[in-house]
Amino acid sequence: MSEKPQSYEAASARVEEIVRRLDSGQAGLRETLELVREGRALIEFCAAELDAVGGDLEELRLDELVARLESEHGGAA
Amino acid sequence: MADTPPFPSEVPVEGSELPGPYAVGEYAAALRVKLRGFARVQLVGEIANLRPPTRARVYFELRDADGAIACAMWRNDWDRLGALTATLADGAQVIVAGGCDYYPGSASASPSFSFSVSTLRVAGEGDLLAQIEQRRRALDADGLLERQRSLPRPLLPRTIGVVCGETGKAREDVLAGLARRGWAGRVVWAFTPVQDRHAAPLIGAALRELAASDEVEVIVVARGGGSLTDLLAFSDELLCRTVALLAVPVIASIGHHTDRTLLDEVAAVSCSTPTHAAEAAVPLNCVDARLGLTVAARRLRDHARDGLIARARLLTALSRAPAAHLARHRRALHQSLRELRAASRRLAGDERARTGVRAGTLARCRDAAIRDCAVRRPAELERLRLALAAHDPQRTLARGYALVEDVAGEPVTSAVAARAAGRLRLRFADDAVSASVEGE
Repeated sequence: MSEKPQSYEAASARVEEIVRRLDSGQAGLRETLELVREGRALIEFCAAELDAVGGDLEELRLDELVARLESEHGGAA
Repeated sequence: MADTPPFPSEVPVEGSELPGPYAVGEYAAALRVKLRGFARVQLVGEIANLRPPTRARVYFELRDADGAIACAMWRNDWDRLGALTATLADGAQVIVAGGCDYYPGSASASPSFSFSVSTLRVAGEGDLLAQIEQRRRALDADGLLERQRSLPRPLLPRTIGVVCGETGKAREDVLAGLARRGWAGRVVWAFTPVQDRHAAPLIGAALRELAASDEVEVIVVARGGGSLTDLLAFSDELLCRTVALLAVPVIASIGHHTDRTLLDEVAAVSCSTPTHAAEAAVPLNCVDARLGLTVAARRLRDHARDGLIARARLLTALSRAPAAHLARHRRALHQSLRELRAASRRLAGDERARTGVRAGTLARCRDAAIRDCAVRRPAELERLRLALAAHDPQRTLARGYALVEDVAGEPVTSAVAARAAGRLRLRFADDAVSASVEGE
């Protein structure tokens, strides 16, 4: 799986699958290196996702969100 | 009522033929007597606005579609109902027994009418509950109770929407739940009424707007506890249909854990508290997840290192294999050689011993032969010589005999043979002479 993961759950599930495969000891050297490379990329993705919700809580009201979306939509139009 | 007004000095209302004026306190007391004189009866209706019991009284209303009446129970009568009181709540259909009563009030207290209830029993499912059940069946028939539950819920949303009252405790509880998850993304608050008749349409509108945003991945609808009528907005059929058809999962936490509204039925998840709802909105514990990522990264690093090291060791072992093979065979050959030499030494020793024995035997044979040649054989030879000498014709010739031979040297041992030979040789001891046979 070389393409970018779609979600945290997909990425974390793939990391677990990779670790299970490596733990089994059945992967050859080439496959091991490829799985490790893929796993590292997925972990970086997951860490970035956690970082996105790991700072300060952002709170806004629904009308503020609606106004912002409308302005973005208007700007895009 | 007394025929004579207590305040005869007061002038009646001009133009009115009604009796009086009477003192209001006296009239109120008379009214109480009159109301108490009404027949005591049983009423059936639905409890509404049941207020927490005071030390002396318990107040509630009894309603049906056509009207309502205020009710009051003495606290000791209420307590005599026992465990039944725990099940009584707004919406409960009950039958009460009692009669009309009237508190006349005073100069500083307001008067009030109430139906004084001496006892009651539950009549069955309340109208409101029946209506709610009817709506639930309608939603179920349309397949709307399962739609939200089939929606995928993100493990780690970046933005969540929250619908709740602006001043209630639900907001704080939601924030507490998010904090427990270690989550600090974006929260979009949709503050709406959560109780009155305007609540359901406004809640529905807020949900639609939140769901219309691509950013909001999950929505929490939270409200604290309340009576059945207080929570009725969350059993609104249109609101529930709206929720069921949203493409964004909705997590409901309405009332206490014993309360169950229709929104709880159609939502993707129903939680007992707003805190739990917030935790359900963010299923991933971010703190644990970070630790898990660290562990996974370490394991990947270990696998990469161990994989290389193990294979390098294998290659090294394989590269050493031929030399080890040769050394092993060299050791085996040396051992075989040592064994062979030892065996040869043993064999040579044995052969040497056997040869010694044979040499001894030969020496003995040799000595015996020497002895045989030196002693026995000369003696035997002498004996034979003597024996032979005894038979030697020469000795006979020496005694005077002669040996007749033919010319060829063959002995002639008969006269016939002598005649036949004609010529003879006569050999004496000292010499031989020729002779011839003459005719007779």
